[in-house]
Amino acid sequence: MKVVKRLLKNPTSLTGILLLFAFVIIAIAAPWFAPTPPKSRDAYMIPRDGFSTAPKPPSDKHIMGTTEGQYDIYYGVIWGTRTAFRIGVVITLFTAIIGLLIGSISAFYGGWLDEILMRITEVFQAFPFLLAAITLTSVLQTIYGRGEAGPLMFLAKLLALVTFGQSPVQAVDPVQLQILTGMLAIIFFGWMTYARVIRGNILAVKEFDYALAARTIGASDMRILFRHLLPNAVFPVLVIASMNIGSYVLTFAALSFLGLGAQRGYADWGQMISFARNWVPSLAEHWYIVVYPGTVIVLFVLAWNLVGDALRDVLDPRLTGSRA
Amino acid sequence: MLRYIVRRLLIMPVLLIGVTVLIFLMLSMLTPYERASLYVQDIPKRQGAIDGIIEKYGLNDPIPVQYYHWMVGRKDKATGEIKGGVLRGNLGWSKVGKSSVAKVIGRRLPATAELALWAIAPLIGLSVWMGVVAAVHHNRFLDQILRVTAIGGWSIPTFVFGLLVLMLFYARLGWFPPERLSDWALRIVQSGEFARYTQMNSLDALLNLRFDIFFDSLRHLILPVMTLSVVSWAFLLRVTRSSMLDVLRQDYMTTARAKGLAEGEVIRRHAVPNGLIPVITVGGLTLIGLFNGVVITETVFCYPGMGSFLAQAALSLDVVSVLGITLFSSFVLVFGNLLVDVLYGVVDPRIRLQ
Repeated sequence: MKVVKRLLKNPTSLTGILLLFAFVIIAIAAPWFAPTPPKSRDAYMIPRDGFSTAPKPPSDKHIMGTTEGQYDIYYGVIWGTRTAFRIGVVITLFTAIIGLLIGSISAFYGGWLDEILMRITEVFQAFPFLLAAITLTSVLQTIYGRGEAGPLMFLAKLLALVTFGQSPVQAVDPVQLQILTGMLAIIFFGWMTYARVIRGNILAVKEFDYALAARTIGASDMRILFRHLLPNAVFPVLVIASMNIGSYVLTFAALSFLGLGAQRGYADWGQMISFARNWVPSLAEHWYIVVYPGTVIVLFVLAWNLVGDALRDVLDPRLTGSRA
Repeated sequence: MLRYIVRRLLIMPVLLIGVTVLIFLMLSMLTPYERASLYVQDIPKRQGAIDGIIEKYGLNDPIPVQYYHWMVGRKDKATGEIKGGVLRGNLGWSKVGKSSVAKVIGRRLPATAELALWAIAPLIGLSVWMGVVAAVHHNRFLDQILRVTAIGGWSIPTFVFGLLVLMLFYARLGWFPPERLSDWALRIVQSGEFARYTQMNSLDALLNLRFDIFFDSLRHLILPVMTLSVVSWAFLLRVTRSSMLDVLRQDYMTTARAKGLAEGEVIRRHAVPNGLIPVITVGGLTLIGLFNGVVITETVFCYPGMGSFLAQAALSLDVVSVLGITLFSSFVLVFGNLLVDVLYGVVDPRIRLQ
């Protein structure tokens, strides 16, 4: 409670919280803000008004104008909020779990296992993040493109279940599958910060008397790890998570912008901005195809960064200055 | 100091091998047929010929065997010619680039290097200077302004920033165009009279004493350089600021003031050198930021470098090219990190003596 109070008192984090609150409301009330046309099969596919190429400026019917191919920008901005939350939260969830597992195993057992796991972590960190994500996305899209992906299909289905609430019995929708490949790639190369921080934290906590006390009364490894060590390492994870959601959303938007994330016409901010690539010489005239989706994406990421930043200061003054 | 460097050097091969293993694991998820472009230029359409190639290059061998051949190359039994082999600089055949991946990298690298070269010095200079200014003016107006711009710069996606500056400075004002050179300059550069020493337009123009071309290339570089730097600028500013704030609270600052040094002198001589140490530690992260930024920036500006090629190849699912470029970039990054670590040890005696 003290934490919440301090977050609300600080003007920058208050701005962040208010922004996030607004986005949550937009995401929840999306069908009310931008009703899906009755004939639409998938609410996340932006409705089109005709098929002509040139973007059309804001009008009464389309208050933010339309992109190339006449996708309604306002609709995409509103429903894209849901996509951003889903992607950010689900990626954060999975990366945090993987990082927690690897970090705690590494710190708890130590020795050669620790050595190996930490070297593996370093190898993953030796890749430029976006390049690695692009690479894995293109590999996964090749594999899933074949239609049969064996055990990898299981991963896609698990992620589809968590992200879209899609039942694992059904075949994965190809539109969703393309988004899932991008998410998988980001998860695969995004867990290292958690692993390292958790490891460091548990190593520190392990030396405390209560861990030793638990051991002397004969508590099992698992019990010590889950009941005594992990709860103490949770706060740093929260801090990193809140700071990372924004950067995951940014990375996914970058993938979409390059044409590797969400499919054309899907309510995803990065995807909407990618249309602008074809209109660079006339951007002065077609400003709305960049400015509206661009603004929401900046505000969304800004909100998380403001909150994460303040949370870091409030929860752990020692972390100040390290942002990785 | 020596021991410190040796330890760093010993970790490096482990990292490099790890990187190749991970890349190869991704490759091995492809079918043998898709993997064939690691060795051959034109993959035949006929099933019989495909089987022949898979047989010839052992694309159905156990993964460790294939990894070995991928690393050191594979001898053609009939001609004795060695094909493939990452260690021999052979990264396979690029479908999109229509030549070997290594050649594509060689062709595209100078443009990217030029972009990074022009970005790095102003980036470090500006961000460090602003970070110091912000810290010295802690919690006053200037600090607040710099903090807000930094957090904004940290939150803006590179492609949005790039498109916004293009919208303003190119589409509206017509000051700075995209791509690498104007048509007239390109004609001269591609003609025989223009010697291409470095393949970097701006430097070559200087070496050829063609100042008109030099300024033309700068005019094309300004916007992409700005776009590439923005995220790293925000990051470095914040690191400098918070590390300077730590330093300014130290006792030796009071000592310096107590012995009568002027405030400017105290900052310059005692605070800044210590405050910059953490800035070096994040050098590796800055490098990653530049790598990431290059892909997006080059794509936005139709700039013919390695990054835009990577994006193009990924979109056409030319996996061999993509993996080749990523492998190359990771190697550069590993060496860059080594440099950063050594530099860190040189600058900070506390690390050296550990």
